[in-house]
Amino acid sequence: MVENAAVHMWAMRVIYVALVFLVIFFHLLPLQTLPLGWAGPDILLALTTAWVLRRPEFVPPVLIALVFLLCDLMFHRPPGLWAALVLIGCETLRARHIDLRDLTFAMEWASVTTTLVTITLVYRAVLAVLVVDQAPLGLSLMQLVATLIAYPLVVVVSQTVFGVRKLAPGDIDALGGRT
Amino acid sequence: MARDRAQHGDYSGPIKRLLIGFLLLCLVGFFLVWRIDSPRVERFRAQVIDRVVPSFDWAMAPVTGAVNILRDFQSYQRIYQQNQDLRRELQQMKAWKEAALQLEQENARLLDLNNVQLDPRLTYVTGVVLADSGSPFRQSVLINVGARDGIIDGWATMDGLGLVGRISGVGDNTARVILLTDTSSRIPATIQPSGQQALIIGDNTAVPLIDFLELPDQVRPGDRVLTSGDGGVFPAGLLIGQVAQDPGGRLRVRLSADYERLEFLRVLRNRGTEKLTDPGSLIGPAEPDLPLQGPPSPFESSEAADG
Repeated sequence: MVENAAVHMWAMRVIYVALVFLVIFFHLLPLQTLPLGWAGPDILLALTTAWVLRRPEFVPPVLIALVFLLCDLMFHRPPGLWAALVLIGCETLRARHIDLRDLTFAMEWASVTTTLVTITLVYRAVLAVLVVDQAPLGLSLMQLVATLIAYPLVVVVSQTVFGVRKLAPGDIDALGGRT
Repeated sequence: MARDRAQHGDYSGPIKRLLIGFLLLCLVGFFLVWRIDSPRVERFRAQVIDRVVPSFDWAMAPVTGAVNILRDFQSYQRIYQQNQDLRRELQQMKAWKEAALQLEQENARLLDLNNVQLDPRLTYVTGVVLADSGSPFRQSVLINVGARDGIIDGWATMDGLGLVGRISGVGDNTARVILLTDTSSRIPATIQPSGQQALIIGDNTAVPLIDFLELPDQVRPGDRVLTSGDGGVFPAGLLIGQVAQDPGGRLRVRLSADYERLEFLRVLRNRGTEKLTDPGSLIGPAEPDLPLQGPPSPFESSEAADG
């Protein structure tokens, strides 16, 4: 049983990495070279937070750090800062995931919202303090809102397609006892 | 079993926290290193991209192609109207072609009269666009020529007609082109025919802003915007676009390059113009304590004046 759980866990980690590369791939396709004037959701962030709240063992901190560092490098962002903030955000959510497990989806959505808003604000504040060129405020707020709107959708897809759902009390491969 | 795990969890708690702290330290440290010594980290970034993006290449080309075919298919619905438009444009183009031919002949005659030598070093390397920046906040593309093809940071990039951007970040096989529309793009420009100097400032829209104009009254919508060559970054006289005015009354550039479809880009080889670093030897007297170097100095000055 334990072997099975371990295999399943590693399989889901591989699936996570594959999804990450898929998203990066579609971001990089040179389909649109004109500036758009609007920003779509940050699917990777929504995916990561959704998985952290459902099955934290599928997305260990090292993996989150590596994935977002790679994204920082690929998407021409200041490297490291966004990855560090996402890691902090995900770890706060991870610490609360047991409490959130028993609450409604609205509560979960609210706590994701506060986390993402906080890390976005801190990100912009740090860049402003260090005098780094940053994206227009409107555009990054738009991306934040889009990410939050896309979050339920990402949750539904993760649950139905990839079977990433919260552990019910009777589940066997629950790594129970952990607080 | 469960107790085992619980104990394991108890031990792993602090270790995990330590690991997270270590990760955060690494990430923040990396960011600070980037802030302090940007070029080194940007070179690292170029190397990472150089490794990752070409491995996507086999899939990127077909998917991009397929999406573009779908888009083209949509345009079949408007085919009749497009045909009419094209005929009209063709008529106009014929008139322009006639004018261009006459101008070309005249130009050839004048060049012949002047015995002008065009700069042979201004040649170009053509690259294919591999990927875009992947984020709505940055406007850049990745092309498939890099240090291996002799590309150097800062060179100008054009499509067939107008300036597209400049090279920033060179990997072995790839190079990143920061487009004129990116928020970090600043290009010194001359506006013809008034000859005003200005800066073209990207602001994440399709039409970059014209700023630092001395006399905005002398500039009208429709004037041509060319690179000025100031700062020694770009060769002078590359076409950027035409002046346009936005509803707010600010002057902007309508870019000549076709930003809708950036597919093949030309990177202009530019070895830079020779600089006169020592104005003293041009006009000053020969130094008295080095009599041997006295005679060459007027010779040098005449050479420098030629170049």
